[in-house]
Amino acid sequence: MSSGWTAEAAAVFAKDWRAERRARHAVATLVLFAITTLVIASLALGPIGATPGERSDVASALLWILLLFAAAAGLPRVFVHEEESHTATVLRLAARPSAVFAGKLAWVASLLALLEAVATPLALALFDLPVASPGRLVLALGAGGAGLAAATTLLAAIVAQGRGATTLFAALAFPLLVPLAVLAVAATRAALGGGDAGGVLVQLFLYDSTIMVAGFLLFPVIWAP
Amino acid sequence: MPVARLAFEGLSRRFDRLVVLDRVSGKVESGGLFAVRGPNGSGKSTLLRCLAGLLAPDRGRVVAVEDGRALANDERRRRVGLLAPDIAFYDELSVSENLELVARLRGLPPASGRAVAERLGLPAARPWRALSSGMRQRLRWAFAVLHRPRLLLLDEPFQNLDDDGERIARALLDEHLENGGLAVAASPVSLPLPRISGELRLDR
Repeated sequence: MSSGWTAEAAAVFAKDWRAERRARHAVATLVLFAITTLVIASLALGPIGATPGERSDVASALLWILLLFAAAAGLPRVFVHEEESHTATVLRLAARPSAVFAGKLAWVASLLALLEAVATPLALALFDLPVASPGRLVLALGAGGAGLAAATTLLAAIVAQGRGATTLFAALAFPLLVPLAVLAVAATRAALGGGDAGGVLVQLFLYDSTIMVAGFLLFPVIWAP
Repeated sequence: MPVARLAFEGLSRRFDRLVVLDRVSGKVESGGLFAVRGPNGSGKSTLLRCLAGLLAPDRGRVVAVEDGRALANDERRRRVGLLAPDIAFYDELSVSENLELVARLRGLPPASGRAVAERLGLPAARPWRALSSGMRQRLRWAFAVLHRPRLLLLDEPFQNLDDDGERIARALLDEHLENGGLAVAASPVSLPLPRISGELRLDR
């Protein structure tokens, strides 16, 4: 990767954060969604009457369902907004497709990391959960978040192409997101409960690598006029 | 041998069953301007988008040559300077921030848009959403010429500009052609344009 390519990707990333800082569309929506969901779930389920093991099972699944839905809710902002407001033409004319993908991927990943930083401590507090292995929990959240960011960015690019894209999105979303969710939940549960998460984390990193390589290969084709 | 050359042959493009372009051809070389005229809906913008590499023609081909080397489609798209009414910038960013973004994407120093913005009389701190239609057109001019392209594609170049804006835009176009650049300009009305070396009339 040349320094020019890196600068292009960094420019896309910085532009998205600068616009977000002023408009506050994505962060406000996602954080509010996360807090509301967790509070409602904790009130409905409650820590009373469940063992810590059961609670960590529920909380892991709930956390990743929340992250998946938050990613899906924020998805249109990634590319659809660029197409609808005709700013995509500026990116198409001025930047390399792979740099656009990298910049957008970094933006989505940072947004998800922020969401994880808010939602995870809140979930741990509301469900009264001890963390057996904080280091592995960070790894699980990092690897799961990176895979979710890559899959979301790729799907967002497909959705933004309009007609016929919805069918393709539906066909791709299930096989892309279900394995990720299964692995991320397993890794998070193991980190909370103290089980062996090594194998699952390796699978999660393999998933991340595969989806990122696929993203960089497919995006120029999807993004091309 | 010209430094830059653009030729298109037998370009056709349809949207579903509507034929918008039907086997149109033309060419222009360094220092020349190719004028495209025609009423609304005659395919002028579609032709320019095909020439810019933003739209793939159904038939025909576009050949852009710079310094004796034919440009691939992706490279052509990144090297042309396109001014089109449907190009928009980021609502949340100011004029200077939008130009800084474009400069960074094009590998130029971030402040390189300052000079052209000042020349075009653009309000540096005003966001895109607060610009008048004339100021938006001036920013499109800044975007099109910022990276000093050899090939300038102008779709309704003087639309919404006041007398001062049109004078500055014409000066930019003159300088571009004098420096060996070439241009394709599309307009529904007959504009007095400099150095016309070829013309295409499109019908609806």
